[in-house]
This record gives sequence, C-alpha cells and structure tokens, in this order.
Amino acid sequence: MANTVTISPLTRIEGHLAIHTETEAIADSKKVKITEARCEGEMFRGIETILQGRDPLDAQQITQRICGVCPISHGMASLMAQEMAYGVAPAKNGRLAQNLILGANYLQSHILHFYHLSALDFVDIKAILKYNGADTTLKSLRAWVENAVSSNSVFPAAPFLPRYEVNQYVPGDQENWRLISNYLKALKMRSVAHEMCAVFAAKMPHSTSLVPTGVTGEITLERILSYKSRLDKLTEFIETVYLPDLILAAKAFPDYWNIGASYGNYLSFGNFRMEEKVGPDVQKFFPAGALINGKLESVDTNKIREYVGNSHYSSPSGLHPYEGQTTPSPEKGYSWLKAPRYDGAPMEVGPLARVMVAYQTRGYEWLKKEVDETLASAGVKLEQLNSVLGRHLTRGLEAKWVGKQLYAWLSELEIGSPAAKEFSIPQTGKGFGLVEAPRGALGHWLTIENHKIKNYQCVVPTTWNCSARDDKGQPGIVEKALEDTVIEDPKQPIEAGRIVRSFDPCIACAVH
Amino acid sequence: MKNTIFTRRDFLKLGAALAASASLPAEMASVFAAGLEKMANLTRIVWLQGQSCSGDSISLLNSIDPEPADLLTRYISLVLHQNIGAAQGDVFMETLDKTSQTGDFILAIEGSIPLNMAKACVIGGRPFEQILLDLIPKAKAVVAIGTCATFGGIPAAEGNPTGSGSVQDFMKKHNLPWQNKLVNCTSCPVHPDAIVGTFAYIAAKGYPQVDPELLTPKMFYSNSTHDNCPRYHYYERKIFAKHFGDPAGCLFKLGCLGPLTHTECPNRQWNSGVNWCIRSAAPCIGCSSPNFAKKKDFPFYRIGEQSHEVNYTETQRKGV
Repeated sequence: MANTVTISPLTRIEGHLAIHTETEAIADSKKVKITEARCEGEMFRGIETILQGRDPLDAQQITQRICGVCPISHGMASLMAQEMAYGVAPAKNGRLAQNLILGANYLQSHILHFYHLSALDFVDIKAILKYNGADTTLKSLRAWVENAVSSNSVFPAAPFLPRYEVNQYVPGDQENWRLISNYLKALKMRSVAHEMCAVFAAKMPHSTSLVPTGVTGEITLERILSYKSRLDKLTEFIETVYLPDLILAAKAFPDYWNIGASYGNYLSFGNFRMEEKVGPDVQKFFPAGALINGKLESVDTNKIREYVGNSHYSSPSGLHPYEGQTTPSPEKGYSWLKAPRYDGAPMEVGPLARVMVAYQTRGYEWLKKEVDETLASAGVKLEQLNSVLGRHLTRGLEAKWVGKQLYAWLSELEIGSPAAKEFSIPQTGKGFGLVEAPRGALGHWLTIENHKIKNYQCVVPTTWNCSARDDKGQPGIVEKALEDTVIEDPKQPIEAGRIVRSFDPCIACAVH
Repeated sequence: MKNTIFTRRDFLKLGAALAASASLPAEMASVFAAGLEKMANLTRIVWLQGQSCSGDSISLLNSIDPEPADLLTRYISLVLHQNIGAAQGDVFMETLDKTSQTGDFILAIEGSIPLNMAKACVIGGRPFEQILLDLIPKAKAVVAIGTCATFGGIPAAEGNPTGSGSVQDFMKKHNLPWQNKLVNCTSCPVHPDAIVGTFAYIAAKGYPQVDPELLTPKMFYSNSTHDNCPRYHYYERKIFAKHFGDPAGCLFKLGCLGPLTHTECPNRQWNSGVNWCIRSAAPCIGCSSPNFAKKKDFPFYRIGEQSHEVNYTETQRKGV
C-alpha cells in the first residue's frame, strides 16, 4: 500500500506551497522512496483580472506587487511590454539604470536564497551552544540560545528552532560556526544590495522610479559613487564568503550532485538589455534559448501555452498568453498554479537554465570556461548540474558574474543625460516583455484597447517550475525532480524540502 | 528572564535612533528604548502571511536600527515566519497550535484576507480565515502590516475575484473587537521603522495613539507627504514637471498623490536613507492610503488622462 510524505506548508520560500507525495517502502529500513509528487500552490489574488480596464501605466506598479522579493523583474517585464506596445525604445541611461537595479536585486535575491531560505536545511544551528571562540557576534548568539533554553522558553531560539530534528546537518563545529556567522552577515549584505537598487529605484521593495524608457531619477556622480561603494562590499562578500560557503556545503553533501534531477529541458528568455531596442530580438547579457533533449533552439513565444486541466481555473486550457484567461474555480484541480509548457514540454527555468543555455551559445566561451573549471575542481560532470547542488552552484556563479558586469554598466552611465524619454499611450496596441527574474524566465503579455488594458497575462518562473500536471498528465518540473528521492524519515522529509528550495520558488509570483 | 546580552545603554541608543530620524519628541526615545528592552525579554511575534507578496517581510529585513541580525536574535522572538523560520510542515502547524494555546503574543498579519473564497489562502491545509479566527482573540495586539493588511490594497482592488479585505474587514465580519487591539501599519511596503517602532511601543506602553478612523499609529503616520516635500517650493510657485525625469518642478501634474498621503517618507526616507520616491523625481503613488490602487478610473499617473476617462477632479487629487 502506498504511503504519503507531506510538507504542508513548505516554508522558507516565498509564499504558500504544500508538497504531497506518494511513496513506497524500502525493504529492511524505515526509509521510503517518492514515487509521485504534487505541488500545490495555495494562494490566489487574481492580479491579471484586477488589471483589466486600467491605465496601462498602472501595470508596472501593480505587477511589481505580485512579488516583494523580485518586484523589479515584474516591473521590467511590464515596462518592456509597454515599450513594445507604445513603440518607444529606452534612453541609454534609462536602460543602464534599469540593468543596475535589476542586477542589484539579483544579488539581494541570490544571497537571501542561499543563506536565509536554504541554509537552515544544512546548517546545525544548535552547534552554536558549543561555541568557544572569541567572535563577539557568535558569543552573544550563544548567550541568546543558552538563555532561551535554560529559561524553558516555550519557543527557544525562534525562528531558527523548531526544525526537523534529523541527523543530517553539516558535520563539524567550526564549519557550522562559520555558516551561522555568515548567515548573520548575509542579512546585512542583502539589505546593502537593496540600498544599491534604491539608489536608482527610489525605494525597495517596489520601485516608484521605474517608467517605460528608463527611470525618473537623475544620473548623478553622487548616485554612481553611492552605488559603487556598496557594490564593492557585495562583490567582496560574494567572492570571499558566499562562493566558499557554497563549496563547503557541496563538500558536506556530495550526494546532492545526484539528487533532485528534473527533465533536463531548460528555457531562458535572456536578460539585461545591451542595446536601446524593444522586442524579443534585443541583444542581452545572458542569452535567450530553449534547450530540449540537449538541442538548443531560439525562443519562439508562439510555442508557449498555459494549461489548467489540473488547476483551480474553469477558463479554457492551452491558451497562448495573449489570449490567456484566469477564471477561478477553487474546487477544480489541485493547485492555483497553471501549467505553462513550451511546445508541449515542461521546461526548467532559473540560474541553472540560464547557465545551460549560455553554455551552448556561441560567444559565451568565458562562461563555459568558468563552468568547466568549477566542475573539474568539484569532480563532477556537466550533467550533474541537473541537481540540488547544481542549482545552488549556478546561482552563486551567476551572482559573481552579474556583480562584475554591474561595474561595466555603471561606467557607461552618462552624468547629466536624460534617463527617460517622452512617450504616449496609443489607442490600441500589443506588446510583450521577456526578462529573467532571479528565479527564472518571466513574460508579461499586454493588449491595449481604448487606451486601457484589455488583457494582461503573466507567465512566471515558479509557474514553470512548480506547475501542476498539464492536461496530458505530465508532472511539472519540481514534481518530476521529487520522484525517486529517498527519504530517511518519512515524518521529517528534509530531503524533499532541499529539492524544492533549490528552485528558489516564489508562489505569490507563480499564482499572482 | 533578565537580558544578559544588551546593556541599558544599548537600548537607549537604539531608541534614540528610532525616534530621531522622524524628529519625534525626545520622550519617544525612552519609550522606544524601554520597548526594545521589553521586547528582548518578552515579546513573541507571530507573523503570518495572507494574500501577500512578502514585500513587508523583506522590508523588515531592511531595518537599520536595529540591524536585522540584532532584531531577530536580540529584540524579538519571531515565533513563526513563513519566509525565514526553520519550522516547516507538521513542525510549523504544531508550533502554530502551541502558540495558540500559550497566548501572550503580538499577531502580525501581512497581506489581505479572501473573504469570499476561503480556498484562495490556505496554510498547511487550513484556510487562513480559520487560523485567524483562532489566533486573533488570543493575541494581546494585532498589527496589520502593509497596505493589503491595513486597507485591502491591490488584492481588494475593483474587480478582484476573491472578495479580498483588510484585517479590520475580517474582524468586523466575524464580530471580533478591534478597538484598542488592532493597529494599522500601512504603506506598500511598510517602512521597517514603523514595524519595529510599533512593536516596541506596544511592548513598553501597550496600545499606541492611532488615527481614530484609519487606526494608523500617530507617531508614524501624522504628516502629509506633501507638507514636507522637498519640491514644495515648486508647487507654491506653480512650476510643474512636464514629463518623467524632469529634474525640476512639482510632480503633481504627473500624478503625485503626496497631498493625499500620510507617511514619514520625506523624513525617514528609504533603504537606510539612500533615497525615496520624490528625491528620485518619482511621483508619490499614495501607497499608504486606504484608496491605494482601489479604482480602475483613478490611475497612478496622469499621462493617460487626456486620452481616456478618469473619475476625479484636480481638487480631489489635492485633497482639502
């Protein structure tokens, strides 16, 4: 008889997610193996419906509020869709400032993901009780935990406890102390990355300065220096703390090079505009591409469809986003996420997908070289990037590459030149904007009629990754990645949590 | 339990920092200091997310005085948090139930509540409404965090499919007494100082002075953004910015809602004070207001008003 393993709610991600799995017993042990998994998104707002009939300019503010972790990605997708519909290209300073905001938010999001969302699956926070060194931060953290434990507090050391009490955390006190110390440092560093965003974005989360063609704020020397001084701190942190910690985690958990593989099909829309153009063919810093069965093709957005056969919607299934509909039917299906497919195939999106696409794209020899060197030093093969550790590692490498590139864009800014252009909203128009959010490919599709939004649809990274089954019954990317996973303790399925978190899910985004 | 980590001097310093950036009266510094000290010893925060984007949680992590690491490990006991807490699955739900039985906590609610579609927000298989019905009566205070929780925000905008409402709407619907219990820390996202300051005040003194209608704590939401606007002199001289990115001019004719908005933005600014909307020539979009994003024919910007119908007069946008 099949048993079930469940994480409900699956926390330390953005939003409301539950994982339900069917398992089979493994002989002579209490271990089980997952045979089938379901990802259930549990929160719905109906943002696309709310947008209908509104001024198109409202969209970049409202869609930013789809997600407080990656508002800039939604803002950018919306602005690019609007620019295409308005027939206006960005100002040079505007494009650069947008890249600087988006890139700084990558750093913020990737650091948050590794340390504050994922690390507690690996780090033994209780190791702090044995701390005997001289670091004042760690000493006072130890005192705090000791106090809480000795006073019989009902909730000692929250929010770091309670947790799954399994014997599967990083071994070694020194290693744990280092990771705990860096968890705390990373809290500060991610807020410094947000300060970088705010230099050009006005505030974070939810930028008010983003507008079609650029940003509202002036490009001044003061702003450039303010951004650069923070970027210096961030790049140092990424190279001397984040990447070494990733390697530490990879060494402590080598099995995770072979755990969490999904279909191995990857989609990237490309990211960071390198020229003042609109539309899908604009040249970008990270390339666009669809990698299916090992074969790379250029992205054709006509191949994108969203299925709702197993989702809480009664609107027609299999629509292209320009025609997409979102009619809720809460009792139908098992998730609020739709099931986007590319040419019928489930596609993984995110840093791993961006790297796999770039790896095979001409002109990215620098990236290929660095990936090859990293793989060689870790002693793993390219195929093993399709794993929990592969996703973490490509995210970390990407933080380094983006950090480096931000200096280049900063140096191209022209002090005193305009950062936005004038434009008007046409009576009718159509446009779509494709970007890469930190967690993967994001597209917004906009139709304007009578100067107002007629239809608006968002196809979002975590919708690709955490989707429900499609109408043919094909499991989504995360559902597939969970299959065949061995769980040591079915009541505390920490392995499943690690797999899901490696995708950096955002459910508020995915459902919207 | 005595706090052995921080000295009274530390609390005084941070209390002063919280009060100073908004030029609050000097006695507020000692109230904040006392509050922070009490929080360190006592205050459990249960933070739950409804129809939210997690933006307020992320904003909390942008706190500067105290910094986020100190906030989490020294000032508050964040019993439950969906984004950063270690607890997941059954462990999360067991902690939720234990909290409910133990009482003695401040309930922080981020996001709105789907009042007509229970399934539109579920945590651990339980409808969010059911969780709130259990926890709200046991909480010593309820703090609505961010505009979705305070006034419904975007999920409750015109044409929304879930019947979304604010925490106050929810409490009224279920006849839960909200007077002297519910505090609305509004804006999208909420400013970290407003969250930390409100928690500190509640810990030290109990329920704060609030606007009788909006339930926003007066210490953080009394001033009109317009009145303290650095571009106010342009408004006085009727010099208006003509397009986005115009370095000079009042932003009113681009859509600025500063006159209708009550925040501390001009004083506190955002992200450790590096910037804020007006300083970046970005019109205020009124993100702290009860009307934020609510109406289709009241857009954020005025660029389109020549081409399509809107439902406001210039006077309405100015307020009275």
